[in-house]
Formats: sequence, structure tokens, C-alpha cells
Amino acid sequence: MPKSRIINYTQALREATEQALARDTSVFVIGLGVSYPNGADGTTAGLKALYPEQILDVPISEDAVTGMAVGAAIHGMRPIVHHGRVEFALFAADHIFTQAAKWNYMFGGENHVPIVFRINVGRQWGNGPQHTQALYGLFGCALGLKVVIPSSPFMAKGLLSAAIKDNNPVVVLEPRWLFQTKEHVPVENYELPLDRARLVRKGYDISVVAYGDGLLAARMALEIVGDIDVELIDLVSINPIDEDAIFTSLNKTRRLLTVDTTNASFSVGSEVQARALRMQIDFKSRPTSLSCPDVPCPTSTALTENYYPTMVSIANAIRAQLGLSPIQKIISFDDLHLPPEYNF
Amino acid sequence: MINLLEAFKCMSLLRIAEEELAKLFLRDKIMSFVHFYVGQEAVAVGVSNALSPTDRALGNHRSHGHYLAKGGSLRRMVCEILGKAEGCAGGKGGSMHMIARDNGFTGSTPILGSITSIAAGSAFAQKHARTQEVTVAYIGDGASEEGGFYETLNLAALFKLPLLIVVENNLYAVNSKLLDRRSANYNAGDIIRGFGVAYAKADGNDFDDVNTKATELLAGVRQGKPAVLECFVYRHMAHSAPLFDDAQGYREEDVLEQRLAHDCLKKVKDRLILEGVTEESLSQITVETRAFVATEIEYALSAPFPNPQELYSHLYA
Repeated sequence: MPKSRIINYTQALREATEQALARDTSVFVIGLGVSYPNGADGTTAGLKALYPEQILDVPISEDAVTGMAVGAAIHGMRPIVHHGRVEFALFAADHIFTQAAKWNYMFGGENHVPIVFRINVGRQWGNGPQHTQALYGLFGCALGLKVVIPSSPFMAKGLLSAAIKDNNPVVVLEPRWLFQTKEHVPVENYELPLDRARLVRKGYDISVVAYGDGLLAARMALEIVGDIDVELIDLVSINPIDEDAIFTSLNKTRRLLTVDTTNASFSVGSEVQARALRMQIDFKSRPTSLSCPDVPCPTSTALTENYYPTMVSIANAIRAQLGLSPIQKIISFDDLHLPPEYNF
Repeated sequence: MINLLEAFKCMSLLRIAEEELAKLFLRDKIMSFVHFYVGQEAVAVGVSNALSPTDRALGNHRSHGHYLAKGGSLRRMVCEILGKAEGCAGGKGGSMHMIARDNGFTGSTPILGSITSIAAGSAFAQKHARTQEVTVAYIGDGASEEGGFYETLNLAALFKLPLLIVVENNLYAVNSKLLDRRSANYNAGDIIRGFGVAYAKADGNDFDDVNTKATELLAGVRQGKPAVLECFVYRHMAHSAPLFDDAQGYREEDVLEQRLAHDCLKKVKDRLILEGVTEESLSQITVETRAFVATEIEYALSAPFPNPQELYSHLYA
């Protein structure tokens, strides 16, 4: 058996799930359609046949379904709750933000809630204002949750495996834009730290802090940015934020660009920028940020053309901080609007 | 049928503990929201006495009684309300967060109907472990108007969960009357049975009736047939705070004379006397209980507060 092979993001999530189901019968997956042959965008495909007791299709009752899973976690089980869109997870806001997140703290410890909330977020062609929100800020400010955003198939498997084993409520925000991306992923189970940023590329000229699908755009930007030594950081966790990693990087580069794939207001980038300000870094150039405009994401491609940061806008934001002129590059319709089949 | 004298003792503990807490609130500055259970004791004691020690219960913002009736420590309860380190939640929760896991009382939270689905999760775990144990969720009539309650009924019936939801109908959601919240045609029994969940009504001011109905329903619950027991009770005190609030003028049926005439503790006492127990021995129980409560409050008052650094502990497991 190969030690690793190339699989995509959804296959990576499925593999982490299957390995957890096989090793621990207290693990179960609950959510609408998780029992379908291609359940949960393929992330539970075929698992109902293999683990019938541990794959539960449910009525569209997000509130009680999530609450029941939280209750099962409080009483010794390890549920994985799947919400296919963040908008539906909001029906269960009480259970995620107020019950699971606070339970251990408000009872003075030793009241663990080992639950995973898998929630799909973000951009997808044709889905419009009510199917493309990410709401990262909402999850970032809910204390008691751990919140990670896997940026690639390798990250997806390792973070989901760690989330399932963790004794805290962990929210895995899965940008569906990345679902077709591919990467070498180990066959064996492995876990990645839930609270540590990851240095994707070491550099000395500027720190680019990104996450999720914004990290992919930033990686692509490195291919066209020119002769600039960029340090690229995958934030990985937005709750808590790995401030040490940001400080170490900024102390070295003294330049900062943050990349968001959500609206500018109360974005993850805003939080990183605020923390950078408090670190009293002697910046060589004014820190800048890229994000989506403060309007909902519309449906028409004519209107979404300039909505998300791209490899070009990121490359030019990097170049601007170094005093370099912008590069001109046209991105094709497909590359702008269709999910990338990128090989990491 | 459990010993009625034991029920009287337990109900007396619930009543006297809260009466003394109310005095403490009026005398001292107690910085924890408190919702008093006075008047509803027959429900907690009647249901708990139908449970086995390994069965579980979860409660709400008004759960001192549910916690004590399940065997929770009075000392740790009072410490919690006073914000002391020895409190059942280390002072982090306060009155609305009672917990005594060793006794099967696995938590109370004040976000109302949401405790029903959390309790369903407990029942789900019990079913998964193939025990014969059950979970009880205590909610009020107000909480039973939240959507999560109805979603939970459907889930409980679908997954055949050993879940008993006890609805303590004290006529008010805060001070809002039933008829200001429901049409005159609202029929809880029809709705609940419509989900495939068993339903019974009990006189919540009557220990015997609660205990009998709970016992009957629990036989089915243990077989995976979830149930709702609606207990009609009188809340003697205000929604929140140690006050009798008759002057507010919202009460219609449950005015003072009615509350006293139907008082659950008085009912049990009258029956015991009919059965030949002497008035003196009952008074003796009351005196002993009051002394015990006084001792525990005294202890809690002088117990240490948590170290300020505890602010940061337990955010994560």
C-alpha cells in the first residue's frame, strides 16, 4: 500500500472520517444526507454501507439535531455534525455558540464536549447571497470553540482527524471552493495541531497571512509576483489565533498583507491587523489587506467578477508594498468563477 | 410506592433551602440571578423518586429543586449561588447552572427549550450503550413554545429514545399568560401524541399524582417510547428574584389563597397525618431540615472565593 497518493479535498475529509469510525464506535456522523451514496459532497460517500449504525440521516431540524449531538458529546460520545451550508448551521447557533462552546467553562471544568461541527462555507458559482456566506468572524469570536479552516487536502485530513480526537468542540469550516483541489495525502491516520499557524513559504520581504481558499489564491500569486521573497502563512486556526507565529514573522519581514475571502468588516484580516498593531512592529510599509467588498455576494457572474481577491490582486498588493508597479494579467472566466482543480 | 415520609423530607429540604436563600438574598448582596422553585417541589421529588440513581436529568434556569431531588449537594449548591470555589460549577455558573454528575444530574442551562435536545443526546448515548437507563429534561410551559422542543419530539420518536420531558406548566412565561401565548384551541396532548410521543397530565401540586404518572410513563420510556409529562403547578414566587409579586396583578387563577390551599407540601403533610404520622414528628423534620440548611448556608458564607486566576481556567478541556 502506498504511503501517500494524490486525492482531493473531499476524499481527504472522507478518509479522516472513515478512519475515525473504524477505530471508535462512539464516533458517529449526523446530518442531512450523510447516508446518501455521494453524501455530504462525497465526504461521507459509501460510509453508510460500511458503518450503518454510525451514519445518521436526519430530518431538517438543525436545532434539535445539533443539540442532540451536543448532548451525546456531553455524555461520552464523539459526534461529527455536518451542516452543508453555514446558513443552516445558524438554526443551531444556540447549540454551537452557547451550549457546546460554554459547557466546560460554565460548569467549572471536567465537562468536556468532544464534538466536531463540519460546516461548509464560502464561494460557489451561482449560489448568491444566502448560500455563500462564510461568517468567519462569528466563529472567531465565540469563545470556547476551536475553529480551523483547512486550506488543502493534506490539511483537511490532518485537521479533521485532530478535531475528532480533541476533547473540545471544534468547528471545521470547509471552503467548498477547495473541494476539487488535489494533494499528496498520507494513507495512514495523522493529526495536525488545531491551534498553530503553518509556515507555507519562508521569506524575508513581506508576511502574507491568509487561510482557506484565500491561501490558495495567495500561493498562485507567488507564481506571478516576481522577484520578491514572500513569507506565506496559513493561519489554519481563527479561534484561537496563533499570535506567536504572526509576531515571529512580522518581526522579521516588517511588512504585512492579509487576505480574506469574506467581507471586509469584522474580517479575519481585520483581527490580524489589529493584533499586529498591538505588537508595535516598526513596519517598513503600511500594512494592507484584501477582502471582499461590504455587500453580500450576488449571483450574476457579471457582478461577482471583482468580488473575491485573486492571484493578480494579491500579487499586486504585495508589489505595491515593495514600491513596484502592478502587473497586468487577465484571468479567464473559468478560473474566476469555477472551483479550481489545483494540484498542491 | 416510595415512602411518603421520605418525600416529605425531600420536599421540605427543597422548600426550606429556598426560603432561607430568599432571606439571604434580601439581607446580603448575592450576585447571582435566582429563579425560585417554591411551590413546584412535588414535581422534582415526584419524578426523581420514579428514577433510578443512574438515570439522568437535566434542567433549566429554575433547577435548584431538580438538582437537590436527584441527590445534589446542598452545600455545593449554596456555594455556587454565592460564587464560591466549592460551588458545583466552581462559581462560574451560578444559580442557573446546577450540576451533580455523580448523582446523574448532568447540568442545567437557562436557554430554555434547548435542554430538550441536549437531553435527547443523553438518551441517545444511553441507547447506544444499551443500558436500561433514561434521561429526564425539565422545562417550563414557556420553553415548550420554542421550535427546538417540537423538533426534539420528532427526533425522540424517530430514534426511539429513552427520553422523558417534564413540562412544568406554571401558567406563565415570565409573566405572560397562557392565553396571551396560545390560541384557545391549543392542545398539547394532541400535538405531542401526533409526533408519536406518549403524553400524560399530572397535578403538579400533588406528589402522588406526579409520582404515579411519571412511573407509568417511564415504563414505556425504558422501552424506547419517549414521553412528555405535563405537570400543572403554581409558581409561588416571581419569575426571578426572591419576591412574592402578587402586587403585580398578573395572576388570575393562582392567587395567594389558591396557592396556599393547593400547596404541595401541605398536601403531603395532610396525608401523612391521615395515615397516622404525628404532627410533632413532622415538625421535628422541619426543625432538623432548617438546622441543616442553616449549617450549610453558614459554611458557604465563610467558604473561600475562587482565585481570580480561575477566570482563565477551563475555557478548553
